[in-house]
Amino acid sequence: MTELERHQYDVVVIGAGGAGLRAAIEAREQGKRTAIVCKSLFGKAHTVMAEGGCAAAMGNANSNDNWQVHYRDTMRGGKFLNNWRMAELHAQEAPDRVWELETYGALFDRTPDGRISQRNFGGHSYPRLAHVGDRTGLELIRTLQQKIVSLQQEDFQATGDYEANLKVYAECTITELLKDGDAISGAFGYWRESGRFILFDAPAVILATGGVGKSFKVTSNSWEYTGDGHALAMRAGATLINMEFIQFHPTGMVWPPSVKGILVTESVRGDGGVLRNSEGKRFMFDYVPDVFRAQYADTEEEADRWYKDADNNRRPPELLPRDEVARAINSEVKAGRGTPHGGVFLDVSTRLPAEEIKRRLPSMHHQFKELADVDITAEPMEVGPTCHYVMGGVEVDPDTASSVVPGLFAAGEVAGGMHGSNRLGGNSLSDLLVFGRRAGMGAAMYLDSLGANRPKISEADVDAAAAEALAPFELEGGENPYTIHQELQQSMNDLVGIIRKAEEMEQALSRLAEFRGRIAKMTVEGHRQFNPGWHLALDLRNMLTVSECVAKAALEREESRGGHTRDDFPGMDAEWRKLLLVCRLNADGSVDVTKKDQIPMRDDLLELFELDELKKYLTEEELPA
Amino acid sequence: MDVKVKILRYNPEVTEDAEWVTYAVTLQPTDRVLDALHKIKWEQDGTLTFRRSCAHGVCGSDAMRINGRNRLACKTLIKDLNPDREITVEPIKGLPVLKDLVVDMEPFFDAYRSVMPFLVTDGHEPSRERIQSQADRERFDDTTKCILCAACTTSCPVFWSDGQYFGPQAIVGAHRFIFDSRDEGTEQRLEILNDKEGVWRCRTTFNCTDACPRGIEVTKAIQEVKRALIFRRV
Repeated sequence: MTELERHQYDVVVIGAGGAGLRAAIEAREQGKRTAIVCKSLFGKAHTVMAEGGCAAAMGNANSNDNWQVHYRDTMRGGKFLNNWRMAELHAQEAPDRVWELETYGALFDRTPDGRISQRNFGGHSYPRLAHVGDRTGLELIRTLQQKIVSLQQEDFQATGDYEANLKVYAECTITELLKDGDAISGAFGYWRESGRFILFDAPAVILATGGVGKSFKVTSNSWEYTGDGHALAMRAGATLINMEFIQFHPTGMVWPPSVKGILVTESVRGDGGVLRNSEGKRFMFDYVPDVFRAQYADTEEEADRWYKDADNNRRPPELLPRDEVARAINSEVKAGRGTPHGGVFLDVSTRLPAEEIKRRLPSMHHQFKELADVDITAEPMEVGPTCHYVMGGVEVDPDTASSVVPGLFAAGEVAGGMHGSNRLGGNSLSDLLVFGRRAGMGAAMYLDSLGANRPKISEADVDAAAAEALAPFELEGGENPYTIHQELQQSMNDLVGIIRKAEEMEQALSRLAEFRGRIAKMTVEGHRQFNPGWHLALDLRNMLTVSECVAKAALEREESRGGHTRDDFPGMDAEWRKLLLVCRLNADGSVDVTKKDQIPMRDDLLELFELDELKKYLTEEELPA
Repeated sequence: MDVKVKILRYNPEVTEDAEWVTYAVTLQPTDRVLDALHKIKWEQDGTLTFRRSCAHGVCGSDAMRINGRNRLACKTLIKDLNPDREITVEPIKGLPVLKDLVVDMEPFFDAYRSVMPFLVTDGHEPSRERIQSQADRERFDDTTKCILCAACTTSCPVFWSDGQYFGPQAIVGAHRFIFDSRDEGTEQRLEILNDKEGVWRCRTTFNCTDACPRGIEVTKAIQEVKRALIFRRV
């Protein structure tokens, strides 16, 4: 029998970013004993990097804003591929979640009358992002962390034990979910520090592991983003949708090489920053697609007036959804109008006074000064697309965040559907709060429905999970996992990146098959104690599975939409809008992709759009009579 | 450029004592210490252990002592470290070392938790946001920038010699609420900091302010808390 420590909980939340913490708070408040398991130290999750803000139609900056407008913007941003029920719940509940966060103690920038200030962002019709300078994600995480500390102190008052109902297992990685029949029975993992195994006996698991960006070379994502939750879900029998849609954020740093990919927040554009090519031209005016022409300015004069008078002017095209801007930058650089380091110029220095830039964008000012030796108050930044977000994820029930596997839930970036083919900036933080809470509630309801029928852990499965985790130590003379990781990232970047072609994706799939063979034979140096090589070896399996989902789904979808651009199928096709591509794992570990029909949008939601707009996205028979 | 990086290595499974190991690495002047560590780990010794996450100074995972000063590895450029000479990298001081550059952060987080780092209010929760003027919000902006990296606390000579002292970060964490116009827990929080291991242990050496990678005026915040204790008002 495997030597390990065992814990019993009602709910295990994997991941301690915004979604995981909000889910854990909810589960604990619903009276469930909850564990939070995270790979990094508590409070260091990827959410800290969100800079721009949290989208919620509170109407503080423009009273015309409401959930219906936010819903419309979200569906447009996702090119109508979104799960409409998720988009509806998100738009309706986001304001309550922001206000709730404020009552937890979150800091926000304020309007002159003391309400939460809201800022402009790409794809949002009104200033909608609640923010704290450009460190909103950091404040969101810190606030949820503080809330958890306060709940633990409450539990201490009541029970004498801080961790009676809510405990954080930091620097701990889950490698396998365990099942009893069809239902989840627990989770198996290891302590990163000691390398010792740990087992959670728990009927409900909430995945909140974030995204997959570490499968790409140029990315804004941090090391944790290895698609763990995506892969765990698949191995447990759950399905993934929308995996072909990867968001390349238009503005990552391109120089110096060591920091290539690090994000430059969209607020730079929201606050007046403009994009120029090497000829000094504001090129975005040439890239407004037909579906957005009515909402975006066609002259620089009108675009500039919009910052002062948004009600009577159309928006600057720099604020188009991210997929449009990323493709435009890519085209300019390809056409030879890029900057010396292969990006375009993002200039805020000629648009705002230096003091104003430092006040509104303090982190960006520091980031460029310290990492690139560029003073953004005096000169333009060089920027280019960087892999930022995966729209695809676990297929879930919108209301409860439940996957198709009983007891398995998913929220935040690891869940699919909410953002369709492209996520709007600011909709991520609100997604975490809205669906984190719903996942916590969903798990609590599921537990109540179980009654005394608690699924049991199978010892044979535990032994198998342990053997699997130790496999990288078994072989000698194989390759180092770092080399394989770098080659995997290069392949995904080059062959399944921002612009895709059938033959390149086929090539990617054959390389992935080759990596599969090499990963099975790699060698890890050293012992189990805090061994980064071993940790990467285990994460690599997840990256491989997720990369295969992305490449296979991308090859299958023969159209261009949002975060999926096909050189060989450049147009958007209404027939494809109705279809989801669903990824499952075959018994041999390979990925199977099947088509599935989308559920048609409810009539009252369809009525929120003009018929002319719907015609751009829907087929003839889907249109309202 | 060719650079020598000298790292204080420690693996409790192998030896009892830490030892300095020097690595020769080829780097760009604009590379950061984090890039140097990654290159060593990827190309020379896969067992080199250190924490890192966001890699641009927001998450606060990679505080370490670089050339004798606490800094974040992801924000320290090689060219700014006098790279003609050996660059030294060692774990932050005053916390138990677990392996290589990884220290046990629990004592640090204990101190963080001890000052009630959460909003304390009376009465019913409002259904919308509480109103807070721009000036009131600005009052405590500086101390909300903290990323819990421990660079301040582990640069403090009082903390080195006395592990009981809360340390600068905990006081920064308390300051963030003491000066928040929405908070009603000031009295309790000030009482905690009035403890013999509280703010009065601070000897105003300014190490913490120098060490903070976020530019927080840590010593000033501590002084403001001391003043609030003396005059019992904020």
